[in-house]
Amino acid sequence: MISIQKKMKTKPVAYLTIFLGWLIPGLGHIFQKKYWRGIIFFTCISLMAILGIIMRGKIYSFQTENPLTILAFLSDLGNGLFFILSKKFAFGIGNLKNVTFEIGTAYLAGAGLLNYLVALDAFDIASGRKK
Amino acid sequence: MLKSHLFSMVLYAVLVCIVLALIRRNEPKAQLKYGISLFIIMVVGGIIFGWLMYLFMS
Repeated sequence: MISIQKKMKTKPVAYLTIFLGWLIPGLGHIFQKKYWRGIIFFTCISLMAILGIIMRGKIYSFQTENPLTILAFLSDLGNGLFFILSKKFAFGIGNLKNVTFEIGTAYLAGAGLLNYLVALDAFDIASGRKK
Repeated sequence: MLKSHLFSMVLYAVLVCIVLALIRRNEPKAQLKYGISLFIIMVVGGIIFGWLMYLFMS
């Protein structure tokens, strides 16, 4: 028996979904009418990012002086609009003297990484790989 | 309250577990089971690593 594998074509709307999901946490799911899931993602990830700022964590910019900060930058970039606003309005500068600096920075990086996963999940749903 | 490392770690674990459970599982019962087990692994693992660092690296 000869099996013919059909190559799955990714719908163009899936790319819009992953962009929306990256820009605002959960928006990719809300765009696909998965309202509750989107609202829960938005609440959890936004709360993590806001707590990271309250704890005086740092949102890293791209810099090559210390290679490890490139990884931190890539994590923080996952925060989407929050990352862009932090660069525009200069918040998330971080305060090393603060006792919660490390945890705050971990919260911000964690929020960014989770948002990547959520945006990829929205992409999978939009392209029909997942229900 | 946010100055407590333990509280911060538990809150972090709660938020991460909620998101990961919703991504990785589709059925509500499976989501709950996955989320709770992930939460226990994260918190207990964090406490164990904390003690190991205290005992061997201080």
